[in-house]
Amino acid sequence: MHEQIQKRIESIITNLDQLPSIPDVAGRVINMVNDPELSFKSMADEISKDQAITTNILKLCNSAFFSKGKEITSVDRAIVTLGIKEVKDIVVIAATREVLNKAILGYDLQRGELWTHGLAVAILAKKIALAKNKKAVADVAFTGGIIHDVGKTVLALFVSNTFKEILSTVESKKITFNAAEREVMGYDHQEIGEKVLAKWKFPEVLKAMVRFHHDPALAPKEFLEMVSIVHIANVLCLMGGIGIGADGLYHELSDVAIKALGVTNKELEQFYSDLPVVLKQTKDML
Amino acid sequence: MNSLVNVGVSQVGFAAQPSVLRTILGSCVGICVYDRMKKTGSLAHILLPNNPGDGNPEKYADTAVPLMVQRLIKEGCKKEFMSAKLAGGAAMFKFNSNVALGQIGDRNVEEARKMLEKHGIPVVAEDIGGNAGRVIDFFLEDGRLKVKAGGEEKLYYKV
Repeated sequence: MHEQIQKRIESIITNLDQLPSIPDVAGRVINMVNDPELSFKSMADEISKDQAITTNILKLCNSAFFSKGKEITSVDRAIVTLGIKEVKDIVVIAATREVLNKAILGYDLQRGELWTHGLAVAILAKKIALAKNKKAVADVAFTGGIIHDVGKTVLALFVSNTFKEILSTVESKKITFNAAEREVMGYDHQEIGEKVLAKWKFPEVLKAMVRFHHDPALAPKEFLEMVSIVHIANVLCLMGGIGIGADGLYHELSDVAIKALGVTNKELEQFYSDLPVVLKQTKDML
Repeated sequence: MNSLVNVGVSQVGFAAQPSVLRTILGSCVGICVYDRMKKTGSLAHILLPNNPGDGNPEKYADTAVPLMVQRLIKEGCKKEFMSAKLAGGAAMFKFNSNVALGQIGDRNVEEARKMLEKHGIPVVAEDIGGNAGRVIDFFLEDGRLKVKAGGEEKLYYKV
């Protein structure tokens, strides 16, 4: 364990200013959608306060993945046409792009690779949720997919200095990459991701999805299904090479997650086989 | 000028010297076929071993290989000058052995070998298995393959 590195990471996560920021509108909208009394108008007003993001949102509304055919030219129309949950996801994409769409050198990811990976995991997670009859939370699966690796953006700097040691710890102790991150640096990218989400004021379910996406067995029971969806979507995208970085496949495909969702071998292979379609939908969004 | 061509998941790329075909692999397998006389080759990024008949020949080892060979022959290549290299087929570090998808990397490699043998194309180098992701660059000027995995680079020159 490198105590100095651990201390530096500690000072970053206890000092909110040093963690990545996103436009406040994302945190507000994400919490709004849980209010059953929410009116279209109050959501549209909230989004429209941030002019910079509105332009991006309208562009995404008209992308192949979200578009319902008719061109959308205002936030009001977007909410009416696409629905509150879809627009919430679009706000999250627009708000997090700057933080996630960059090179993550410690993990050997070129610019755009982490971003593409997050969107692909989001799309596949939504597919899995729908296939397993969880339509009501499919949008949450999508949001979790986008941001699950946000901790990597903070930890990358330290991973570039300790990568060899992390990998040799993986091999000597037969533990997964994130467990080795903890051994070497005191923290893994999941824990850092959870801190980032706390700063963004994201809800508990999303924090759990970020915190346990490699360790579903440790997730609180009430969030196990959601964590499992993102876990499986993430593993399948990595197996397909989408956003695979220096940590490679040094992770676990968790049996707990497979059982929690009741995914059969056949379904698992089908989701994996869907990757080319998922990737095409991802590119339409970029 | 080495022009770089990215080959995506379940795509097959074709190029001649001095181009470079690149792809990024997890459990998928990159099948590289090279004609050393024409200095022309093909890289398939296959996702699964066997085509259930879904109209995506490029996605599966058993249908991608014949597609590559046919196209190369159409470009004037000859089977007797062709050789192949394989990369990828990694597996998750931990998984329950009851989960069939866990072995998909091995099954991809096996099917690729089988199809290449069927077409009489020798496999001259392999960089397969393990748990690392791989970025591979296939240089058509001499058929060499560069494999970047786990922070290290390896080169395979044999053609």
